[in-house]
Amino acid sequence: MGEIKPPPEATGAPAAQPSEYLSDDPRDIGWVKQNVPCQTACPAGTNVPVYIREIIERQFGRSYETNREANVLPGVLGRICSRPCEAQCRHGWPGNGEPVAICHLKRVASDLKDAGHRITERLYSPTGKRVAIVGAGPAGVAAAHDLSLLGHDVVIFEREERAGGMLRYGIPEFRLPRSTLDIELHNALRLGVQVRTGVEIGNQDGQMPMSRLQQEFDAVLLATGCMAASPLPLLGEWEKRELRSMEGVEYGLDFLMEMHRGMEKTVGKRVAVVGAGFTALDCARVAARLGAQEVTIHIRTAEEYIPVTPEEIFEAKREGVRIKGLRTPVGLTAEGNRLTGIDFVQNRLGGWRNNGRRQAIPIEGSEFHEPCDTIIIAIGQQTANDYLGTKLELDRWGNVRIGVDGMTSHKGMFAAGDYVSGASTVVQAVGHGRQVAKRIDAWLMGRERRKQVVRIVPVEKPLRERAFDFIVRQHMPTAHMDERMRDGKHEVELGLDEKLAFEEAKRCYLCNLRYQIDVDRCIFCRACIEVAPRNCIKLVSGVEIGEDGAYGKLLETKEWNQVGAIWIDNNECIRCGQCYTACPVQCISISRCELTEVEI
Amino acid sequence: MGDTAKKARHHIIVGSGVAGSQAAETLRECEPDARITILTLSSLLFYNRYDLPKVFRGHRDWREYLVYPAAYYRDWKINVRRCSRVAGVDARRRVIALDHKEEIRFDTLLVASGGRGYIPEDLTDFRPLMHGFSSYTEAMSAANEVPKKGHVIMLGGDMIGLDLARTLIDTRHRVTLVAGPNTFWPHEVDDDERPALIAALEKMGIEVLEGADAGGIVSIEEGARGLSARRVVFRDGTELYGDVVMPFFGLSPSVEFMLGSGVDIERGLLVDPALRTTTEGIYAAGDVCQIWSDAERRYRFYYGWKNVRAMGDLAARNITGSSDPWVPAQDEKLHISGDGKIQSPFWEYA
Repeated sequence: MGEIKPPPEATGAPAAQPSEYLSDDPRDIGWVKQNVPCQTACPAGTNVPVYIREIIERQFGRSYETNREANVLPGVLGRICSRPCEAQCRHGWPGNGEPVAICHLKRVASDLKDAGHRITERLYSPTGKRVAIVGAGPAGVAAAHDLSLLGHDVVIFEREERAGGMLRYGIPEFRLPRSTLDIELHNALRLGVQVRTGVEIGNQDGQMPMSRLQQEFDAVLLATGCMAASPLPLLGEWEKRELRSMEGVEYGLDFLMEMHRGMEKTVGKRVAVVGAGFTALDCARVAARLGAQEVTIHIRTAEEYIPVTPEEIFEAKREGVRIKGLRTPVGLTAEGNRLTGIDFVQNRLGGWRNNGRRQAIPIEGSEFHEPCDTIIIAIGQQTANDYLGTKLELDRWGNVRIGVDGMTSHKGMFAAGDYVSGASTVVQAVGHGRQVAKRIDAWLMGRERRKQVVRIVPVEKPLRERAFDFIVRQHMPTAHMDERMRDGKHEVELGLDEKLAFEEAKRCYLCNLRYQIDVDRCIFCRACIEVAPRNCIKLVSGVEIGEDGAYGKLLETKEWNQVGAIWIDNNECIRCGQCYTACPVQCISISRCELTEVEI
Repeated sequence: MGDTAKKARHHIIVGSGVAGSQAAETLRECEPDARITILTLSSLLFYNRYDLPKVFRGHRDWREYLVYPAAYYRDWKINVRRCSRVAGVDARRRVIALDHKEEIRFDTLLVASGGRGYIPEDLTDFRPLMHGFSSYTEAMSAANEVPKKGHVIMLGGDMIGLDLARTLIDTRHRVTLVAGPNTFWPHEVDDDERPALIAALEKMGIEVLEGADAGGIVSIEEGARGLSARRVVFRDGTELYGDVVMPFFGLSPSVEFMLGSGVDIERGLLVDPALRTTTEGIYAAGDVCQIWSDAERRYRFYYGWKNVRAMGDLAARNITGSSDPWVPAQDEKLHISGDGKIQSPFWEYA
């Protein structure tokens, strides 16, 4: 299966071993996308099974580098990633237990690599092209790194005093220590990327006009994120009232950014946080550290549906934060200009929105009141475009519209990250930053210079044992409550030690292993079926073929006269290796299939 | 297979407590030919959890607690599958998956899995050092650890715990209550009512320490050799020594196996007044469900033996064709009687 090519001489990928080969056959690429759900779910395309396997082999530095090929901030994302991979992990599928702690293992690679670890970068010759990036957040940094590797001269313009964007100014230190952030930003930008901080793009005095960037650079990438807090939609007399001037009213992102810029923040005794994302949770946990006696997060739907990891919710609750569901704020109460409480309406759950979130439907006549001294509004962020000095085509949500080439409606002006998608996650921003960097490179150079292939490596024997399937998910050790509250910055999650990491890594099914039966050699003895722990080996009369040519749904049969083949359903397979061991005629083969990039 | 058997529906009930058992009985009355299966995590048949304080009076034989003999289930053709942990529910396929990978099809499902003792998240690290009281096994474990006239440190003090405290005082044990916001749960007690109620507890012989006054619990530790088995340390340096530490912070609905099933959940399963969940064919009853209250315009829990039994009965009637709304079966007012004793409707059971 797949086009077999000899290892190319000057590919960007490491030299292929003699027994391995690279395939650009869409069926092989389709197989990986279908069968390695964690990697497919990762917006940055992180090669999860490979880096976990490297942890099992205690090759922490190599594991870190595998991560870094897809995402330049493994230590950062190993702490604060929203983990779309874990939601898709085969180990978490019904009947298989809990997903592998993929994110925690990413952090393991970062934490346990040698102190003198050598970073590997594959550099292209200088191109003489200059790229300006506006915004040193995760999308901007990821794009800058990749563009600099590709030989372009990159300058980042950042309005804050330091690089990092949302990572530095929006995420509290107890979730992301600044030492980790500083090291990884430094490593990402050390290949000649110039970072000009304290430079604001705009048309007012003291600001750098966008037109100048367009003149001085061959391409401009806008990666300014979503930094404007969404207003709280209230009803009645509160509908048009300006809330910012009220005492006791804070906007979540502004609250965090001001704190991280060094401003001293205070909250009342009773704090109400309105919102359901990481920012809301971070604000609540910061409020608890600032001495609030009662911190409640009010959400429109229910805990099950909020886009935050269960661990974060649990840790917030340990810190005394309460979560109350099925309520929407409709008004505030105040004495003079000082907030005294919030009026809510009770909700019921509605259908699903297009973005995968649950709808909340207010119930008429169910209004109620809850007193509080401080409200922190963290219901989302929006993009701000007023600094551009020029009109770009926007989509219906007010975000900048880009084409498949990553370019906005202005030639040479690209956009990436939250600035395009609206408020999303760090890993999405990193992934999109990399994608757009590739598009910029193609536009500057007049051609694509890298393409995706599948590296297929024969594997001699199963890499897992059946016993690994019964290991339970290892829990992240956390800091004692007194330490957490002492200075408000102490990191809460302490990281897995080597022993815990090894146990957790063993749980990974290594879904990139493809088990196949050679039907010509199979004697249909059913030994593999007898030992299979799941319904993963099937007698089939045929196979559906997908649009990309990849094999799809199996057409099972129980009639021997219709059996066309005995087939391993890689979707059901948990790569335990029982079939391989039981086969008396060695007709089962194993190969490792991993997506990689090579030079065209 | 005869025609009758072909038409017989399979009703599965998850949970063998008051709600589940009552539902099974009503289902059998309403639908004599139906197939009824109860899935329970417990190794015991339906037993009276409200009687569990009696273990401290020396009643330790599990048979004393059974509500019905085993023959009852045979006679009523109710299949009880004990030690069965439900792993998940596929509402679309109408299939329940058990932890040991077995799948069971159902026509209707009644979730009556109840609740388990809630432990505040900041105390979960100390779970191994605490003794629960939500099952016969846990009750026996606690009773075995407490010596004669021993000292029980009770955290939280919900009405289940205070019921136990009455027995413990009566059996000459020492009880120290670390009171907090969950004291008297599920009663909602106003700030102005609380001092009198706390005083009534003290009059009963319970020593009361307001946890917040001591800055909250910092840790629960094993006591040193020669001293009591447990030590509770407070932020202000206060220390309590006892033979066991028992958490009573109310109940947390057992809904984990329903996550991802498609049924709407807030804290409990959300049901309409007819106890129907948002998924056709799936009902909920007892401590696991939040019922929509037209009067209060919100979803809310209803606790207590009478309420829970009535819910089991109502759910079964509605599963078999009725469409009756929920009407609470008991009042919720906590009060102090003329002789100065606390009286709670949650302590009343048949």
